[in-house]
Amino acid sequence: MDVNGFGKNGENMNSMLHNEEASARSEAGIVAMSMFFAGLLVVAFTSSPIATGTKPGERAPLFSGKAYNGDGWETFAFDDLLTPEWNPNSTEDAPWIAVEFMDRLCGHCVSAAEEVGDWSETYKKANNWPGPDVNFVAIHVEFQGSSNRADISEFRDSNSHNFPYFDDDGVDSFKDWDIGATPTYFLVQPNGIVAWNSGIPNLAWDAQSEESITIGDPNGDGRVKLNEAIEQIILSYGGATQ
Amino acid sequence: MNEYAVLSIHGVIILFGLLLLTPFGSSLATILHSRYESTKTKRGQLIAGMVFVCFGGFTVSAHTLWMHNKLSEGQSVCSGDTILNCDGLIGNLSYNTDPLFSQPWGLIGMVAFTALMWLVLTIGKDPMSPQTPLFIKAGLGATIAGLPVIGLLVSYEIKEGLICPFCTTAHIANIIALVGFFLLFRLNESEDWAPETKKYFSRK
Repeated sequence: MDVNGFGKNGENMNSMLHNEEASARSEAGIVAMSMFFAGLLVVAFTSSPIATGTKPGERAPLFSGKAYNGDGWETFAFDDLLTPEWNPNSTEDAPWIAVEFMDRLCGHCVSAAEEVGDWSETYKKANNWPGPDVNFVAIHVEFQGSSNRADISEFRDSNSHNFPYFDDDGVDSFKDWDIGATPTYFLVQPNGIVAWNSGIPNLAWDAQSEESITIGDPNGDGRVKLNEAIEQIILSYGGATQ
Repeated sequence: MNEYAVLSIHGVIILFGLLLLTPFGSSLATILHSRYESTKTKRGQLIAGMVFVCFGGFTVSAHTLWMHNKLSEGQSVCSGDTILNCDGLIGNLSYNTDPLFSQPWGLIGMVAFTALMWLVLTIGKDPMSPQTPLFIKAGLGATIAGLPVIGLLVSYEIKEGLICPFCTTAHIANIIALVGFFLLFRLNESEDWAPETKKYFSRK
């Protein structure tokens, strides 16, 4: 075939040019990809990211919006409850966080309301609890029917709860926390890492060894409750020395 | 090491690249002449400048990804009481990943600057290729496509009332790369793209 009127030589020239172009692209590709992977390796070897999620050991998803604290609906941010600099060996008395996802129209949530209220009082140093304070927060989701803020306030007041009730309506934090049913409870370390999830009741996160551990079922009723998880996990760090 | 000291290293790389793109580039490029002969030409200076800009953009993006990882570990890497605060943006779960693939913005930046670097190196290695105008246009298009993304990230900064200096440096690198590709495009259209060929043909 004749290329530009130069016959066989033209063909050879054409193929040489194509080879040269391909070679330039490949060489440039090798340099650019080497740079990319070198960058990734440096980042990978100098940091160990913690995934956001709700399994023990993962970083609890943050949320913010309006919460009822007994006086009125105020701006609430979950990260305000956290102590990012906390570590399991610190002697600082940083509070832990217990999170309850509930719906005022869910029967199990209604029947659990009294004991949740008791736990929120029990796990305070002021009430002779040997560990650090556990701050409770309830997140009201609408699984059973619709509720307005007045209904949520009334539910909190009627149960004499002393912790904030966060209105999930329009915030959809239940999706980030992967909530499939109510009530679901979480115990969160002061630095925001999930220590226990009632959906995986026998598993807890040990911040000292940085691995999941199995926790017991003290009552032998086949399920680990929030109060049992709080006592086993928090006191395993040395109780009052926390 | 202070985070702003590290940021200044990225900044110096990008600034050196920017200067090579400007009219001062010809005198600055003399320090590269002995090792890289191609920098004696205008085309070589522009390509060298673009390599520095893309490399600076890449390193600052990699640093942003590192910060993203460090923040997930619970560490503070760039916080402060002033408006300059990376933790509040890179550590903000609502904004710190892209809405399409949920990947950290730092990683997106690394991929983008790697692609730009590939285009620049390919143009530099084979400037006379018939594909060169296409590569220049691809670079121009890619950097223009980066503008809405920068706009989105700036809107997050405005919403939070914070400025992330590392992210802003990467954004500036993209804008300089856009200008660089435009200068390459203009040069490619002119006769100055290959002055050596011009001389050769005029001798003939």
